[in-house]
Amino acid sequence: MSDQHPALSLRGLAKRFDTKVAVAGVDLDVPAGSFYGLLGPNGAGKTTTLSMAVGLLRPDAGQAWVLGYDVWADPVRAKGLLGVMPDGVRLFDRLSGAELLAYHGLLRGMDPAVVDQRAAELLDVLALNDAGRTLVVDYSAGMKKKIGLACALLHGPRLLVLDEPFEAVDPVSAALIRDILHRYVTGGGTVVFSSHVMEVVERLCSHVAILADGRIKQVGTLDQVRGERSLEEVFVEVVGGRTATGEELSWLSR
Amino acid sequence: MAVPVTAPAEPVRQVSARHFVRLKLRVLANNFRGQGWRIALFVVGVVIGLWFAAGGFFLLAAPGLAGESRYALMIAAFGGGLLVLGWLLLPLAFFGVDETLDPARFALLPLSRRALVTGLFAAALVSVPVLATLIAVTGLVITAGALGGWPAALVELVGVIVGLLLCVAAARAVTSAFATMLRSRRVRDLAAVLLAVLAALLGPLQIAVLAAVRSADWDQLTGAARIVGWTPFGAPWTAGIDVAEGRAWAAGLKLLITALAIGALLLWWSRSLESAMVGAVSAGPSRDRRGTVGEAVAQLFPRAAGWARRDRFGALVAREARYWWRDARRRANLITIAVVGIFVPVMVNVGGARLAVEDTHAFGEVTADSSPVLVSLSLIFVGVVASLTVANQFGFDGSAYAANVVAGVPGRLELRARMTAFAIYVVPLLVAVAVILAALLRHPGWLGVMAGALFAAYGSGLAINAFVSVLGAYALPETSNPFAMNTGAGVAKSFLALLSMIASTAAAVPMVVAAALLGDLWLWLALPIGLAYGLGAALLGSYLAGDVLDRRQSELLAAVTPRR
Repeated sequence: MSDQHPALSLRGLAKRFDTKVAVAGVDLDVPAGSFYGLLGPNGAGKTTTLSMAVGLLRPDAGQAWVLGYDVWADPVRAKGLLGVMPDGVRLFDRLSGAELLAYHGLLRGMDPAVVDQRAAELLDVLALNDAGRTLVVDYSAGMKKKIGLACALLHGPRLLVLDEPFEAVDPVSAALIRDILHRYVTGGGTVVFSSHVMEVVERLCSHVAILADGRIKQVGTLDQVRGERSLEEVFVEVVGGRTATGEELSWLSR
Repeated sequence: MAVPVTAPAEPVRQVSARHFVRLKLRVLANNFRGQGWRIALFVVGVVIGLWFAAGGFFLLAAPGLAGESRYALMIAAFGGGLLVLGWLLLPLAFFGVDETLDPARFALLPLSRRALVTGLFAAALVSVPVLATLIAVTGLVITAGALGGWPAALVELVGVIVGLLLCVAAARAVTSAFATMLRSRRVRDLAAVLLAVLAALLGPLQIAVLAAVRSADWDQLTGAARIVGWTPFGAPWTAGIDVAEGRAWAAGLKLLITALAIGALLLWWSRSLESAMVGAVSAGPSRDRRGTVGEAVAQLFPRAAGWARRDRFGALVAREARYWWRDARRRANLITIAVVGIFVPVMVNVGGARLAVEDTHAFGEVTADSSPVLVSLSLIFVGVVASLTVANQFGFDGSAYAANVVAGVPGRLELRARMTAFAIYVVPLLVAVAVILAALLRHPGWLGVMAGALFAAYGSGLAINAFVSVLGAYALPETSNPFAMNTGAGVAKSFLALLSMIASTAAAVPMVVAAALLGDLWLWLALPIGLAYGLGAALLGSYLAGDVLDRRQSELLAAVTPRR
């Protein structure tokens, strides 16, 4: 049945914090098997949107479906198909990498033997074996991203939602993560990730949505959105940035 | 010698303590913005503080108002000494310190250590407890004034202000030092043991003091007060009294002693501040955890949870069990349970026996006026305090709880697993408390009553706190200081704690009633009934609160995620 349904479908998602509207009605369809980039400047509402889409933050209005299952009405099935790597959220970081993977695996109701085998494989591929029994709290930022990704991948989800997976990651690890995600999509999975790094999005994504001020400004396949120009040009134009004139901040140069 | 090419520009204005105080006030005010309930809680806190302040004021002013000069020295020395002791120990055991201004935030600023310490110290003075203490100790100024006129009152005023500075400096220095010790992986276990021993010593100490008070006559007490008056504990408070009694030279010396003590404490504080500022990075080389990785699942389960099935429940129990030990904040709480668990029953049951001590001058008869009812009551308190630790159990996790939300862990399973993991630590502790107390009271026959009361109170407390932890969760600050608290959280915390303690105690009261009514029969029935009662209550609590949790998972996550 997952063939008829989009991997992720959002309708009218909205959220306000006190007086500030963070997300003002987002509609989005992520086709199954796509590599979807959610672009936006800082504070555009990317994290809020993704949190509402995966069941971490209750929306004020709107609905979210994962492969046809309502995230808020039927969370058990929706969450079972979903792998999530939130940003700015701690892991249970007083466990070692292997312990954390075992925890996530068992929490997903997996067979212990399968957990052991996949955990070993993931630690190996992500080059986290050297860390041994170091606690995750002592990992570097890049290693934390990698173990977070491993936790999201462990149970073999059909949809992977990643918030800023390339933030604070060195080029070597970034290439590794790109590789793994690419293989995952080739194998029939769907990836949605947020970012504000244009190069990564241009290189990876089949589809793009640009979010600003809590609304979707542009949406479509990568080629539809950027047309003849570079993605960065489109992005800056849509978001409405400004460029420095050279007059201000003169005291910075002596 | 390398000479820097570019010298940093001299700052136009020096940073003074005033900036820190204003920063703290600004942060406090911003915390209140748009949060009506926070303002309400703050007002409640102020009212409670003023209430205690007024009580203290009249107590300390009583010798002066009544014109009883012979009480003045004792009240000043012992009352003031207790105040310093309270400021020293209470933050460690129960309340934590207000870390509105986290020292780590200042690490990048070009501030001298001196400017930083004086600034943070000045900011620490801006708080409700300090205000309440100040009001209370002005009672001593009244006393000194009534007995010795204006000069004595003026000296005493200086004395109480310096004394207050001493209190705050002591609280900061000690919590900061202990936080550093608990953070450092090498000595943290040592620090934990030290703290527990220190608190365990309070019990016997109190017995000794009570016995001494009973047997001592008036002159000995005055002598003791004089001695305390020359230590930093009593020095600031007795300075004005000395002037009133015609020893002006002593007042000067005592103020000097206090000033030296404050200086020493601030120096100590500044040392441990430095390590707090550079944060967890310098927490010493981490214990060598390299070594073989082995099977992931086998690694997750500590030996204490080795019996658990390798499924969702087992994983939750194993992770919680690991966290109770690895998280400094949680471990500090476990220590508190051990401390309170031993200290309170000993105090109540042995302290109540002072008449016997006076009559016979022997500890052999200390059990004279203790009874199964009294023992049950004091142990119910212990069980309630033990369960109170999990009143904010999701707050310990912070945003990491997102992992459980994403995995869709059912609420009942979650709560049952958390109770089980906590029990792995607490149940042996409670058994130890019962055994130690039975041995101390020389009433091994009461062991069943004691354990029964403990387990009944602990179980029903877990049930109540399951609800409190789901409905009343709040975020803990993400600092490495296990004693740190968010501003305003103090009142909320105390309020919820009080509520949960009243409810838990009420739930365990049938055990006391049974002890009073059933007499000797209860000695045999207490343990099985208490166990069943506690277990049943805990299961029922997890069952009902689990439903609430299922509906509130994302709200709970938002509540425990620290604002950034």
